[in-house]
Amino acid sequence: MTTVSTSAFYERATQAMTVLRARAEGLQAALGRGERLSRSSDDPVAAARLRGLARGDSFAAIGTSNANRAASDLTLTDTALASFAEYITRAKELAVQAANATLTPAQRAGIGTELAQLHGNLVALANARDSAGHALFGGETAGQAFMLDAAGNPAYAGTASAGELPLGDGQSVTRGLTGPEFLNFNTGSSPTDIFAVVKGLADALQGGAADPAQAARDTLGVLDTGLEAVTTVQTVIGARLNWIDLTTQRRTDMSELSANEQAEIGGTDMAATITRLKQALTVLEASQASFAKLSSLSLFDVLR
Amino acid sequence: MSSDLLSIARSGAMAARVALDVTAQNIANAASDGYVRRSVRLAELASSGGFGRVGDVSLSGVRLDAVTRNVDAFRQTEVRRTGSDASRASSELAGLQNIETAVEQTSIYPAVVAFETALERLTADPVSSSLRAAVLEDARTMVRTFNIAAQSLASVGEGLRFEATDGVGQVNLLAGELARINLRLARASDATSDQSALLDSRDNLLQRLSGFADISTVFSVDDTVEVRLGGSAGPQLVLGGTATSLAMATAVNGTITFMLGATPVTLSGGALAGKAQALAAVADTSTELNGIANALIAAANAAQAGGAALDGSAGQPLFSGSGASGISLALTTGAGIATAPSGASAGSRDPANLAALRSALSSSDIAGKLDSLLFGISSKVAGRTTTSEALSTIAGSARIALEAQSGVDLDAEAVNLIRFQQAFQASGKAMQVAGTLFDTLLAIR
Repeated sequence: MTTVSTSAFYERATQAMTVLRARAEGLQAALGRGERLSRSSDDPVAAARLRGLARGDSFAAIGTSNANRAASDLTLTDTALASFAEYITRAKELAVQAANATLTPAQRAGIGTELAQLHGNLVALANARDSAGHALFGGETAGQAFMLDAAGNPAYAGTASAGELPLGDGQSVTRGLTGPEFLNFNTGSSPTDIFAVVKGLADALQGGAADPAQAARDTLGVLDTGLEAVTTVQTVIGARLNWIDLTTQRRTDMSELSANEQAEIGGTDMAATITRLKQALTVLEASQASFAKLSSLSLFDVLR
Repeated sequence: MSSDLLSIARSGAMAARVALDVTAQNIANAASDGYVRRSVRLAELASSGGFGRVGDVSLSGVRLDAVTRNVDAFRQTEVRRTGSDASRASSELAGLQNIETAVEQTSIYPAVVAFETALERLTADPVSSSLRAAVLEDARTMVRTFNIAAQSLASVGEGLRFEATDGVGQVNLLAGELARINLRLARASDATSDQSALLDSRDNLLQRLSGFADISTVFSVDDTVEVRLGGSAGPQLVLGGTATSLAMATAVNGTITFMLGATPVTLSGGALAGKAQALAAVADTSTELNGIANALIAAANAAQAGGAALDGSAGQPLFSGSGASGISLALTTGAGIATAPSGASAGSRDPANLAALRSALSSSDIAGKLDSLLFGISSKVAGRTTTSEALSTIAGSARIALEAQSGVDLDAEAVNLIRFQQAFQASGKAMQVAGTLFDTLLAIR
């Protein structure tokens, strides 16, 4: 005969209900947190993947802030380039006026003064500051992009390249332009820069040349080359801004994917969890009820 | 010897009383730990006729033959064996969970990622004092989480050793108790309630002992028990009235070993074995964490040495100390972070050395190593959880099997109460009959 001892009955009931209760509480906790995992050991592989995704998110956030910074620097560069183009166009207009043989020397000298003013503006613009307050066209220099020498001629004092900003995922963007990249160009085969051209013309019109009208005519072509150099790099800047947009788009897509994956791996599947919780509770209630029934069944109650 | 109705009835009434007492004892101890259901064995008291008195009727009633303990030695052994395994698994698991908490809940991985991202953010403007300060503060947070993780691991080890010391004390206490019970068992006479109680205590002590260590037992004819630790070939813990003392030795790395008297003993079950395994895991984790901290220190300091600080001076070490508990932040200001290459002028925005620092960190793969450390611990915990659950289910069913066989069934005892009450009443009736018979004889005149 198999005996069912009273203590065995209670022990079995305790074990069964403890297991059910623990399961129900685990499911309830998962619902409350909205996350499936409370610690890595709940699912080590998923937890490792979640760590990796969270790390990627942190770097993506830096990528976003770098992209914003690069975009604002490049936009500043673009605005400055537009001003450069305006100044050079103005210089061209002035050169066309000065090239007119009917002008008096005094009128030419007046144009020359405006050109000298324009030269000053160009130097100031070349020393513009970026969003962080550093030289916009000075590469990675700590000081100014252009320093004036004793003769008042600006000399480039920056570094050779503008430096790159990482945009995440191994992508990067050159954050700006150095002055020489668009201010220096060749006339014929000899190198020159826009400052020298404008200053040369200003000096020539203010009495520095024997035939100022001819000098103005000669400079017209050089100014065209200078303007072309500026407009060329404007396209480069536009392309870089596009590149930032592209990587931003890509980063958004990636973060969407990553968020989806995180929700999939680490999130609680509400419907399934609620169903399982309901199931566990139903079974728990049933076993509690049957336990109460069985434990109240005592022969002592019947025997009088 | 002739029969005597009155004395027969008296013996019957007494036997029923004893049986009722045993039943009451069973009911009273229905919830007692380690109590084994008793039952009475009654035997007829009669003598066969002797020489020349072949036809004689000689009935003397009933006597109490023995009080039986309804115990199954095999099931008890199973309870001890499976209980030993389950408590080893659960104490190892508890230790491992503490290790997981110590390393994971200190958020050491997010802290390392934060440091790396702060360095990447610094690339945007290497001379910005606020970004430099952010890097330094993230480095400080990271260093402190390393310290906290190391401290937590150390205190996990301390807790485990404390519990193991307590367990060793318990084993010695239980072994001493068993030795005393052995002495008393050798003197107790068979099938008495005294012996039954001693046997209950003996089995209870053995079961508790098996929770701490895996024991093997040999029972001798006089019911005394010989206990060996660590399997049947292990050294003797209890033999007769002597108990050998168990001692624990702690190694430099915090792991523990056990000695029984002068013999080293390897435990493979029980809570003590679990603690020893968990302590080995603590030591491994500490070594690995120290290795990661040292790799971090080496990579960051080497990169710093190859660059120039904001003021153009040569880069100074970023971290000092060694190991996860010893690592500390050596730089005091963010200006000390060597972002520029060696020889650069003061205030240089050249991020060449910052890139070197970042690539040194990523090539020494600090975050990856931490990730695999965390993965290792958590998968160990996950695996051990399954093992522990399985073993405790097995131990639970072994316990239920034993209790189903040796425990008290209140319904059965209720039936026994009725049965023996009726027997008592019937014996009383027999006495009454004897009285009536006597009166009948007296009434003859």
